[in-house]
Amino acid sequence: MPVPAEVLGMLAFTLLAFWGIALWSLIRTLRQESRKVEILKHQDRMDTYSPRALADLREWVENNPDDPLADRARERYNECVDVLTQTDRHFYDWSDTEIEQLERL
Amino acid sequence: MADAPAKTARAEWGTRFGFLMAMIGAMVGAGNIWRFPYVMGDNGGGAFVLAFLVLLFLLAVPGLMAEVALGRYTNKGVIGAFRDVLGPGGMVGLGVIVLLVNIALMSYYSPLIGWTLYYAVHSLLFTFTASGFEAGAFMDTFFANSALMIGLHTIVMGSIAAILILGIRRGVERLVVYAVPALVIALVVMTIRGLTLPGASEGITFMFSVDWGALAASETWIAALGQALFSTGLGWGIALTVGSYLREYDDVPLGGGVFTALGESSIGILAALAIFPIVFAVGVEPDAGAGLAFVSLVQVFPEIPLGGLVAILFFVGFFLATFTSGLLITEVSVTTVSEETRLDRTQTVLAVCGGIWLLGIPSAYSADILDFLDFVFGNWGLPLATLAIIGVIGWVLGPKRLRMLAVNRNAGIYVGKWWDPVIKYVIPAVMLFIMGYFAWENFREPEMVAGMLVIVLFPIIGYAIMSVVEGRGGKPGTTEVTGGDD
Repeated sequence: MPVPAEVLGMLAFTLLAFWGIALWSLIRTLRQESRKVEILKHQDRMDTYSPRALADLREWVENNPDDPLADRARERYNECVDVLTQTDRHFYDWSDTEIEQLERL
Repeated sequence: MADAPAKTARAEWGTRFGFLMAMIGAMVGAGNIWRFPYVMGDNGGGAFVLAFLVLLFLLAVPGLMAEVALGRYTNKGVIGAFRDVLGPGGMVGLGVIVLLVNIALMSYYSPLIGWTLYYAVHSLLFTFTASGFEAGAFMDTFFANSALMIGLHTIVMGSIAAILILGIRRGVERLVVYAVPALVIALVVMTIRGLTLPGASEGITFMFSVDWGALAASETWIAALGQALFSTGLGWGIALTVGSYLREYDDVPLGGGVFTALGESSIGILAALAIFPIVFAVGVEPDAGAGLAFVSLVQVFPEIPLGGLVAILFFVGFFLATFTSGLLITEVSVTTVSEETRLDRTQTVLAVCGGIWLLGIPSAYSADILDFLDFVFGNWGLPLATLAIIGVIGWVLGPKRLRMLAVNRNAGIYVGKWWDPVIKYVIPAVMLFIMGYFAWENFREPEMVAGMLVIVLFPIIGYAIMSVVEGRGGKPGTTEVTGGDD
């Protein structure tokens, strides 16, 4: 019995949606891991937030200064800023201009 | 606990691959192999796949991100993580619920692993392709032999203890980095064998024909919801525990969320491709559960060329899938008990595995007891654990706080604010719905009564234990986190 085209289409979509995304995420995360290892061979610390995530963190700390976790969030923000300004290799896509504009909280 | 002797530094995964395989090894279990293929074919095929995919991205991916992130943020097992968020006191008993559910789950899962071990051994002995072999009679004789069942349960728990004693890196990681790829390879080879058989196309059509009308049927969505929640192990404490061993610069959302949810589901899809083309090629009725694995499939192996080798691939792969799940389910209790007591890891492993072995004897003795417990804990115990974990993240710690402090820190992908309401509202609402739905479906049945007892008693037991253990009479202690953040 030949397999109908609609069935083959669904099979292809399923493989792409599940195995495609799973393999993409596996390869991406393993490559990121290799890059992190490479950076840590060169320096002992590494940036911990992407520009977008760090901006979110700053906004949250500024809007919630009395939050019980604000101090921890501030620490994490400042730690990332320090690393970005004191190291020359970065994991996330930071431009020099973005780094120059960063200020500790 | 302040005067407890200092323990050595907390273990960490040795490699990123080790963490990822631990997540997949934990989540891929019997359900992926013997349930998913049939549920898929029986609920609209392609339509079910679409519904399942939507629910995976809506619930499982964000939920797993949250659970792994909580483990990574606290670097503790379930009770320690809950204490960090809630402060010391009786409410930490919510963590005890997760612990109790895991112990109960493992008590009946271990005998099931024993079944797969038995069939794996017989596949290696080429029993299923021997002349005069009767699959139904073989299974009936096996299930009637309580001593053998208890013996297998003992072997399984003993093996799990032996591996867990070696620790996270030398024990668990060393096994899963080989076991999970071996399972995938076994299923791929079986798929190739199945697809090259005459008549295999009927199996493909059964699974992937699209009944678009099924997308409008509530049964399709309920089945997809059950698969998305139970297959991914969301909220059982496993992802939290595995995440608690992440290293300083490890990502959470890409590996712990997207890869885990899609990767473990992909193995279900692969199992479907491995099993149903063979089943249909031989003309055996498709089935689910023990009937599929231990009768239908066993009947087809003698009928196909190289059937004995295919049987080995299937049953050894099936055993690895269940065994790695059992290993990580047990690790949830080992990690927590080790942290909460003065016992070292070896003593903890022996105590936990011994306790589970004892509790598992009734399920090993009788498959009916196993089925009863599976139904009760699958429908009410596990959703209760999920509700405890996601509820604490959503309503006490706050999803936005967790996203800022753990999810997006060192992350491989950026997680935006869409995530917050999913954790705070959507997942808890879905869990409440699913528990209510199953209660309504089984109203006044003994299973439903037992499920309600679990829902009522486990929180009371958890609260009482932690109130006594922490010596605070249940009064809320000082917590560093209050209220949600939204």
